[in-house]
Amino acid sequence: MSALIFTIVLGIIVLYLGFTKNKAILAPVAIAGLGVSLILSIRDWGLGSKYFHDMILLDNFSIAFNISMIIITILIFLFGVDYYETMEFHVAEHYALMLFALTGAFLMTSFSNLIMLFLGIEILSIPLYVLAGGKKYSYRSNEASFKYFMLGSFATAIFLFGIALVYGASATFYLPEIKTYIAQFNGHLPPMLMVGLLFILIGVAFKIAAAPFHFWSPDVYEGAPTLVTAFMATVVKTAGFAAFYRLLGMGLLPLPPQLEKALWVMTGLTLLIGNLGALKQNNFKRLLAYSAISHSGFLMLAMLSQHDSSASVLLYYTFVYSLATVPLFIIFILMKRASDGLEDLTIFRGLYKAKPWVAVPAIVLLMSLAGIPPTSGFMAKYQVFVLSISQGILLTSIFAIIMAIIGVYYYFFVIREIFTDKQQPYPIIVSKINGALIIVCTVAVLFMGIFMWRLPI
Amino acid sequence: MQDITSAIQIIPLEHYVFLCVTLFSIGLLGVLFRRNTIIILMCIELMFNSVNLLVAAFSAYHSDPAGQVFVFFIMIVAAAEVAVGLSILVMMKRNVDSVDINLLNRLKW
Repeated sequence: MSALIFTIVLGIIVLYLGFTKNKAILAPVAIAGLGVSLILSIRDWGLGSKYFHDMILLDNFSIAFNISMIIITILIFLFGVDYYETMEFHVAEHYALMLFALTGAFLMTSFSNLIMLFLGIEILSIPLYVLAGGKKYSYRSNEASFKYFMLGSFATAIFLFGIALVYGASATFYLPEIKTYIAQFNGHLPPMLMVGLLFILIGVAFKIAAAPFHFWSPDVYEGAPTLVTAFMATVVKTAGFAAFYRLLGMGLLPLPPQLEKALWVMTGLTLLIGNLGALKQNNFKRLLAYSAISHSGFLMLAMLSQHDSSASVLLYYTFVYSLATVPLFIIFILMKRASDGLEDLTIFRGLYKAKPWVAVPAIVLLMSLAGIPPTSGFMAKYQVFVLSISQGILLTSIFAIIMAIIGVYYYFFVIREIFTDKQQPYPIIVSKINGALIIVCTVAVLFMGIFMWRLPI
Repeated sequence: MQDITSAIQIIPLEHYVFLCVTLFSIGLLGVLFRRNTIIILMCIELMFNSVNLLVAAFSAYHSDPAGQVFVFFIMIVAAAEVAVGLSILVMMKRNVDSVDINLLNRLKW
C-alpha cells in the first residue's frame, strides 16, 4: 500500500518538476522514485494486508505483478531519456501521467471489490487517453487518442452496467460474497445475474484486447507515440490480465457453462485473428499490435486452465513478453530515425551489416516473441501448453500450438529484412542508455529461458 | 434519508430496471449510429447516468448504502472522462476543423 501512495506522490512531484524547465532531472527522479516503490513493494511480501474495509487485498499475487510492472516501467523510462531528448514541452506531464497510470495498474492487481476494479481500470485508462494523443499536431495521434477514448469509455459503460446488474442481484460489491452468491445456484443463474456477468466479462475483455473486442488496438498502437505504445503493450496488458485472472479466481469461477463456452470461443478467436491478422501487416507497430493480440490468446488459455500454477505462468509469460517488447520498440525507433520517419518493415534493411551488435539482440528478441528455444518466450509458451494439456483442454491447446507455428512466420518477415543488404539514408545512432537497455534485456530474455523457468508468486 | 428511500420504493423495482435498460440502449445505439462526436459523448454520458439511476434504485431496495457511494464514484469518473474527451475533441477540431467521425479513417487494417 505504501508503494501505491508513494507512486502517486512521485507522480505529483515529477509533474511539478516540469516547472523547473530542466528536462534532464525528470527521468532520474522518476526512476529513483520507482526504485523506492520497488523496495516498498518487496517489503509488503507475504503480509497479505487489507485496506479500505477489505476493498484492497495486497497478497503475494498482487505484489508479484506490481514488482514486474514497476521493473518494466523503469525500462520504459530509461527508454524515455533518449526518446524525449528532442521534445521541448510537456515532458514532465508524460512521465507523471505514466506514473498515475501505474497506480491504476496497482489497484487492478489488488482489488477484492468491484468498485476498486472499476476505479483501477479508469485510473489506468484516463491517463492513457491523454498519452495516446501526446503528439498534439499529428493527426494520426489525435485519431488514435479519440478512438481509444471513445471505445474505452463505451466499454467502461458496458462494464458498469454489468456491475449494476450483479449488484442488483447479489446486493454486494465484494467478490468473495459474490462468489458464494453465485455458488448457491449450481450453474442455473437468474437472467439478470447472467447478463451482468456477461457485460463485466465484455468490459474486461476489451481492456486486454481479446477478439472480438480488439479493433481499437492496432489503430491505437499505430497512432500513439512509440513510447506510449510500448507502455500500452506491456504494463497495461500485464495489469489487464492480472485483473481478469483475479476477477475470475476471486469472484466468478466456476462460471456457468454458457459463459465459459463464450470465453473459450473468445480465446480461439483471439488466437486466430491475432496471428492471421499479423500476416498481412506492413507497419511494424501494427505487426506488434497483432502479435500482442495473439499473445493475449495464449494468456487467456493459461488463465482459463484454472490450476494453482496459472498465476505463476501468467506472471512469467507477461514478464518475458514485456522484456522482449520494450527493446524491440527501442530498435524500431532507432531504425525509424535512420530511415527518415518511415514505419514499415523495410526500415530494418541493412541493420545486420551496419550494426551487428544491435541486429543479433533484435533477432533474439523476435525469436522470444515467436517462441523459439532457448529464449524465454519458448519456455513461457511451453508452460502454457503443459498447463492446459494437463488440465485436459486438448482441442484448444492443439489449435493454439498450430497458431504459434503460424506466428513464427511473420516474425521471420522482420528477421529476413534485417539480413537484407541496403543502406539506410541516415546512419543508425545508438545512444549509450539505449544500447545498454537492448543488451541487458536480451541477456535477461536468454537467461530466463535457460535457467529461470518459474517466478515465485 | 429514510423518506427518500421509501419514496423510491413507491415505484416497483421493475419500472426502474426497464427505464434504465431503455436509457442505456438509447445511449448504446447513439454511440453506434450517430456521426457527430459531441453527440457520441452525450450518448456515453447517458449510458453512465442510466447505470447511476439503476445502482441508486437497487441500493434503495436492498437498503445497502454501498450502492449510493458507488454512484458518487461513477459521477466523478464520468466527469474526468468528459473533461479528457472534450479536450481530445478540441485538439482534433483544431487539426481538421471538423467533429465528424467519418474523418477518423487514416488508421485502418
